[in-house]
Amino acid sequence: MDAFISGLAILADPTMLFLILSGTVLGIVVGALPGISGSTTTALLLPLTLSMTPAGALAFLGSIYCAANFGGSITAILINSPGDPSASATAFDGYPMAKRGEAGKALGISAIASAIGGIVGVVVLVLIAPVLADMAYEFGPPEYFALSLFGLSMVAAIGGDSPVKNLFAACTGVLLATIGTDLTTGVERFTFGIYALTDGIEFIPVLIGLFAMAELFEQAAQSGQVQTFLKMDAVKLPTMADFRKCAKSIGISSVIGTFIGALPALGATTAALICYNETKRWSKHKEEFGKGAIEGIAGPEAANNAAVGGAMVPTLALGIPGSTSTAIILAGLIIQGVRPGPHLFKEQPTLLYVVLASMLAANLLYLVLGLGAAKLFARIAMIRGGYLWPAVFILSVVGAYAPNQSLIDVWIMLVFGVVGFLFRRHGFSPAPLVMGLVLGKMVEETLKQSLLIFDQSWAMFLTRPIVVTLFAVTVLGLMAPLLARLWRRWTGNGVHHTS
Amino acid sequence: MTTEARDRDPAAAPRPRSAVRISIVALAFCLAAFALTFSFGSIAGEELAGMGSAALFPRLVLGVMAVLALLMAFGIGSPPMELPPPVHRMSVVVGLAMIAFMGAIALVGMWASCVVFLVVVGRMWGERSWVRLTVSAILMCGALYALFVTFLHGVFPVGMIGALLQ
Repeated sequence: MDAFISGLAILADPTMLFLILSGTVLGIVVGALPGISGSTTTALLLPLTLSMTPAGALAFLGSIYCAANFGGSITAILINSPGDPSASATAFDGYPMAKRGEAGKALGISAIASAIGGIVGVVVLVLIAPVLADMAYEFGPPEYFALSLFGLSMVAAIGGDSPVKNLFAACTGVLLATIGTDLTTGVERFTFGIYALTDGIEFIPVLIGLFAMAELFEQAAQSGQVQTFLKMDAVKLPTMADFRKCAKSIGISSVIGTFIGALPALGATTAALICYNETKRWSKHKEEFGKGAIEGIAGPEAANNAAVGGAMVPTLALGIPGSTSTAIILAGLIIQGVRPGPHLFKEQPTLLYVVLASMLAANLLYLVLGLGAAKLFARIAMIRGGYLWPAVFILSVVGAYAPNQSLIDVWIMLVFGVVGFLFRRHGFSPAPLVMGLVLGKMVEETLKQSLLIFDQSWAMFLTRPIVVTLFAVTVLGLMAPLLARLWRRWTGNGVHHTS
Repeated sequence: MTTEARDRDPAAAPRPRSAVRISIVALAFCLAAFALTFSFGSIAGEELAGMGSAALFPRLVLGVMAVLALLMAFGIGSPPMELPPPVHRMSVVVGLAMIAFMGAIALVGMWASCVVFLVVVGRMWGERSWVRLTVSAILMCGALYALFVTFLHGVFPVGMIGALLQ
């Protein structure tokens, strides 16, 4: 608690406040741009953190992460084009509301629900993360190996509807993490004699390529299409009656969203979609959903922002990313020389609570900005593609070049832009590749350490209860779709159809 | 069946599935990467030290990937999907513009290339006003220059012509 109060005290520093404010504004602005998701936003702005202190970088990235989810709802409501995948569910009812002239109310409830969900997520993070970190002290290399395998197995659920393709992408990311000099033997792997690759592939060009460049190639194919924009009258705050109507959905979605966000790899999009269904299920006005139900906005928005806090729990406590954006934040931390995990809580608790305090501040900031400046942010969504996407390319090039001042990184970005584009065309999601890239070194290091401890005996993994439990959960998770299909077939046999 | 015939008759046979094609490409990638692992060096006694060779882990991962590629071929855990449509002409054009941009950096440096790219690609994207494109390009590059060069003291390529002028 003392460390948390110290973290809050740092908010009195004007530099930190400036970083949080600029991160929040940038997160809303870039999150509102169609086609640029929260994870792309974080990847694009990651190079800016290189000149910051670790605390400043964390505060900046945390603020962006919180605000981008809300920013995505602006375009979801106004032009039915979610700025972030986590705002997809918001578009189901947000756009119909906007079409009947209630865009302001839709944005208002979106801002309020997002802020409440976000604050719930951060509170849970403050309470749960230290407990999880304490438990993680029982973890040795075998446990971390099993945990990272579990995290990678969960990527089967990210994006697209092909678990096998997602796992293949994740393994590709793990393989990419082996490029460079093997730390235990000093042997160079997959460097092709290129000196710049001896330290491995940099995260930033890969991330920017996979997300921003790939999206650019897709948007180029739509360059001839004309977007229609709805007029937005002055933002009207939701009334108390609206708030009472949404209170239950905000409450339920905040809790579920936090829990789902805490599961490795699931993230805000999954939370939002699940909570949309739950909100509809618990609503007394189910028939309104899909036609402009205000609860249909409140539920998913609370969930996707609650998932932000939830996703930071395994990221900070265990060093296992809870979502694609936290994988990018984790990459940013590694670049800063900070390795999240239980040690962070003991050795640098103030750093940690700076993150939490900044996320709390960001949630409050975008509530104020969202209600007060929604009309202004809405104009961002109207930037024409001919100006926006070439600008994204230039920003990406500069961002990829700046960290090492190397054109090789820019070429890597372009290569991965093509990879990301091809991935999307063939049903592969780039997010699992990012997870694999971020977790790959940890998987290899912990495996080698474990084999060293176990004297090369793989069977010894089965002598550790936590490892066995994690392996079992991993196998169950991978088999879940098959088991679910068998269950449906079995229960379907017992169903009697009546005419 | 031609595309036109298929468009006229929506009930016509679907395009061939892409699963086998993707699987073949994935397997070829795994084989090529596996072959590359034999080019890794080794150090004396690494096996005895219990660390395993440098190639062990990549080969393990490639083995898993090969199994996943086979599962894809049989459509296990991966719903069938049609072949995607051909890559849009504009996507190819933008890709070529990016490569040309990289070449232009060597000639005129980063910032001049950025301005030219913004104007030319913006025009290709459908914007009509050269003036507006040029002004916005200069403003954006100016802002990035201020941030990354003036404030963050980054060094960006000036190109051959830039080097001659300096």
